[in-house]
Amino acid sequence: MSPTGAAPGRAQSRRTLRRLLSARNVVVAAATALALLLPLFGSNFFVEFVMTRTMILGIAAATIVFLAAYGGMVSLAQYLLAGVAGFMVGNAVVAQDAWSKGLKLGWNPWVAVLFALAVTTAVAFVLGALASRTTGIYFLMITLTYAVIGYYVFGSITPLSGFGGITGIDPPGLFEDHPQRMYLALVVLSVLVYVAFRVLAVTPFGLALQGIRDDPVRMASLGFNVSLHRTLAFTLAGFTAGLAGVFNVWWNGQIDPTSISIGPTLDLLIVAVIGGTLSLEGAWLGAFVFVAANNYLRNLPLVDHIGITEARFNTIVGVLVLLIMILSPDGLAGIIDRIRLGLRRLVHLSRGSGAGPAEAAAGSKP
Amino acid sequence: MNTDAAAAASADRRGSLLNLEAVVVAFGGLQALGGVDLQVWKGDRLALLGPNGAGKTTLFNVIAGDVKPTSGRVTIKGIDCTELPARFRPRLGVARTYQKTRLFRGLTVEDNLYLAQTGRSGRHLALLRSGVDAEFRERARAMAETVWLADVIGVTAGDLSHGQQRQLEIGMALVTGPEFVMLDEPASGLSRGERERLVQLLLSLDPDITLLLIEHDMDVALRAAQRVMVMNEGETVASGTPDEIRVDPLVHAIYLGSEAGLRGADP
Amino acid sequence: MRYKPTFRRLLSLVGIVAVFALLAASCGDDDDGEAAPATTAAPAEPEAPAEPEAEPEAEPEEMEEMEEMEEMEEMDDHALVHLGILGECEGAFGAFHEDVVAGASLPFITFAGGTSNSPTSALEGFSGAVVAGVPIEVVGIGCGDDTPDRIIQEVRKIVEQDGANVVIGPLSGDESIAIANYAKDHPDVTFLNGIAGAQETTMVVQAPNFFRFNGDGAQWNAGLGDILHNEAGWDTAAVIADDYSFGWTSTAGFIAEFCAVGGEVISRVFPPLGTTDYSSFVQQLPDPDEVDGYFWAVGGSGTNASLEAFLAAKGDLTGDQHAGNLFFSPALAAALGTDIAGAYVGGFATLPGDVSTPAIQEYLASAEAAWDSLVSPMSGMEPGSPAAAAGFGFFYGFYSSALAFIMALEQVGGDLSDNHAALRDALANIEIDGPYGTITLDENRQAIVDTSVQQLVLNDADEVVSQTVALIPAVDQSFGGTFSPQTPPPDRENPVCETRDLPWAGNAIPVVDGVPQS
Repeated sequence: MSPTGAAPGRAQSRRTLRRLLSARNVVVAAATALALLLPLFGSNFFVEFVMTRTMILGIAAATIVFLAAYGGMVSLAQYLLAGVAGFMVGNAVVAQDAWSKGLKLGWNPWVAVLFALAVTTAVAFVLGALASRTTGIYFLMITLTYAVIGYYVFGSITPLSGFGGITGIDPPGLFEDHPQRMYLALVVLSVLVYVAFRVLAVTPFGLALQGIRDDPVRMASLGFNVSLHRTLAFTLAGFTAGLAGVFNVWWNGQIDPTSISIGPTLDLLIVAVIGGTLSLEGAWLGAFVFVAANNYLRNLPLVDHIGITEARFNTIVGVLVLLIMILSPDGLAGIIDRIRLGLRRLVHLSRGSGAGPAEAAAGSKP
Repeated sequence: MNTDAAAAASADRRGSLLNLEAVVVAFGGLQALGGVDLQVWKGDRLALLGPNGAGKTTLFNVIAGDVKPTSGRVTIKGIDCTELPARFRPRLGVARTYQKTRLFRGLTVEDNLYLAQTGRSGRHLALLRSGVDAEFRERARAMAETVWLADVIGVTAGDLSHGQQRQLEIGMALVTGPEFVMLDEPASGLSRGERERLVQLLLSLDPDITLLLIEHDMDVALRAAQRVMVMNEGETVASGTPDEIRVDPLVHAIYLGSEAGLRGADP
Repeated sequence: MRYKPTFRRLLSLVGIVAVFALLAASCGDDDDGEAAPATTAAPAEPEAPAEPEAEPEAEPEEMEEMEEMEEMEEMDDHALVHLGILGECEGAFGAFHEDVVAGASLPFITFAGGTSNSPTSALEGFSGAVVAGVPIEVVGIGCGDDTPDRIIQEVRKIVEQDGANVVIGPLSGDESIAIANYAKDHPDVTFLNGIAGAQETTMVVQAPNFFRFNGDGAQWNAGLGDILHNEAGWDTAAVIADDYSFGWTSTAGFIAEFCAVGGEVISRVFPPLGTTDYSSFVQQLPDPDEVDGYFWAVGGSGTNASLEAFLAAKGDLTGDQHAGNLFFSPALAAALGTDIAGAYVGGFATLPGDVSTPAIQEYLASAEAAWDSLVSPMSGMEPGSPAAAAGFGFFYGFYSSALAFIMALEQVGGDLSDNHAALRDALANIEIDGPYGTITLDENRQAIVDTSVQQLVLNDADEVVSQTVALIPAVDQSFGGTFSPQTPPPDRENPVCETRDLPWAGNAIPVVDGVPQS
């Protein structure tokens, strides 16, 4: 009866291999390979702008997905945390003699990164601890409050933000004037973040987090410190958002309080919703759809004639989000999932196999 | 484990495990418990009976730490737990189930049984698996067998049938290796056959395990318990052995009704 | 994985909230702006800003083809001007999107043989313009929302994707600082500011390929301090201004001059941008009997709100004790009453309609000739007279940059070689004899401009109107040395109040009934 305990090693490793070669993993691996090869055939603008921004937003949105899918927490503070990292990098790297605002510490850029990530992680820990006793809509509201307060804090502490923002923030030599390198680094970072979050899901920590998502009361009665767990998950997500923030400020060259205002905050949530708040891959998929829609929709000749232009971009994205929400609350990833299941069922039907329904029932995935 | 607790436990083989003194719980103006005293000894098998709203579940929640009493004292193994939050109970060997199942519906049966153990161990913040985990996994699989869930061990808890969910609920309490198990209506919603299996399971528990049971099904309650306490409107109205309770006219009057016999009415 | 239905409901709720937020953002962008000093900007319904000459191969699905576009662009680099215009279709100034695109287009239509692609919309672009044998093609119109992040993305799209080698814009202050910094990293592109008025853009960033043919926020207030101290008799003043770069810069122009000629600023109050309840800030101002006057640089919906808060807190509001920057418009009288008449108001890029010279008439007529109608806040966001739009500073700022570019390109015979070296040299030394005064550039490629001081007065029908009272010629950015790259940029404390010589003090040309008395 014991299914795996005494299974011979060969069978186990074959099973492991089969699990690793699931359709999901194969698609992700193929997408990664495509992303890594993109600089060979994609235009500079597509690689250095569209895809670079996609990766940055994807990493940031993945932290929303991580918290939502594994922790049951929909956070609106992730863009703020990315912004904190950005402001810290800006304050730290700009040289004393350069014209800019901020503290102008003139540090080594890599030291600045460590500093920025440390500050961001600390901020995330404090904010996470304060929010850790709330769930559901209250957690959403409290993180929305963080985002709004964060904007005003940076707006009013002008020594830290210069109100008009910190400009002329250069990436380290490794990336300066090498936007393709920055892109490749972001692809690698995206893969690391993706794999880390997925691996985390099956660690004791990740399982406990999912337990807390499903039933915090039961978790407490089983001896778990639910608040601490939530706080640590939020801190981890904050650290990761900080990574995205560091690259964002390198890529953008400047940061100001409006960079973290409610607009970009909602944009990031929309990226997560488009992709699907319950699917990690969805974060990058949503980011790509969002950035591509932003940049290419206005080039469609047809779009011109029906009065939809860049000025209507928000409307288009709004309609897009609404459609996706109606079709599938799990976003594009959810839609893809359903198509996949539908196809499989079709295949089963055509083969006349009876294995269909059970598999379909167990087929929904994180 | 706490040395006080160990000392208290070893002092008397049949030492007091749980002590409630004048526990009052009021929700706003509504008094759910009106000064309940209760003593449970190690190895006790106690069933709580009473109509809906009698305060049984509130009493459970006070013991489990999910509800703080308005006044009174809760002592478990000699330690004052009145103010301690729920998550410290497992360290005292307390495990409970819920009337309405509280499972991790997004996780598999095995993961549910595995998680139930890690909370007490302090392993739940770990990012790596270790030998302890293998042990937990082994125990989880063994428990799945005990509660007749071995064939569905890989199924997501949310996809189990109602009866299977009740079984898992009990399994999650037992897998922690508790000294004191509190079961809140474990038989509700089970078929006749499943009820019979449940009684067998409860009777087969290690005699050292203390059991506190809320149960509407008189048959299950009176077979599994050695001692019965009847509550009404937040107060204890009768207590005694199952045989004494079966014939107590007061109990019949307030709870069993004239012809209800031994079948309790499920809500 | 299964989730509790409540969580799924929450997710749906989140999505729906996000949708409504977006719809609200796209519909309500323009009504709380700091726009429209001359008329109140109605909520904007920006018309379709069609992509002029939409390149057929720019289909989004086929990204690979972008590369071909790029090669094409490189090939044509020296033979063509690929013009990008940075407009503002969202945010506080979103209503002015068509105005500024029209401003940048008009010189190409009037002086370079171009024709507008649509008689009723500037956003359709223009075609057929040729300067010194070089065809001018509009490759992209950017859509800013007055944030630096957004304008950087827009300019990257226009330059890096659409291949623009000349960019006109942006509109708003913080944006221009970001664009000037961007210009430094793109030496192959020439940038001409639109109407953005932040001081640092040219004074401090000093990108060699960024040119500004309009004044900054401080320059526009030149002449005001002199008149208030020497004619209105203010010895002390209190200032209240928006707490951001334009508010600081605009105020700095007043303070620098008022103090230079001997006045004293005794109080500075900076409410955050977007404040709705100004009572606590107004309370920090001295009472009317403790100070000679107040200078206001609060924009957008804040202008009215702050003045009404003052009225409630301090009792009265009379024109002789108040002055403001360009946000102080005759429209204020609607809410505050005609007591506001008498207030002096700082200038902007153009002059109010009371001054009419042949050059101005010719300029306005050229706008009428280019389009039948334009949608502008000047005409209440309805199709209206292009001249009304052209008479306002936003339009004119973009116009003067495009005009300078055409003149310079003609001067060098269309030579765009060596990263536009000859063109840039010509731009730096050009003198524009524009309809609203002469424009030359200083060594930081920043305009030295003629500006004006206005006054709110009662006309015969007892309506408050704006009247030009003085012209101040050749106002430079430094205010006689008050501002330099070494001095701290304007902020809550800077500039400090001290007397100094101002080159234009005492040289103001009085204007009587719209006629300069030189």
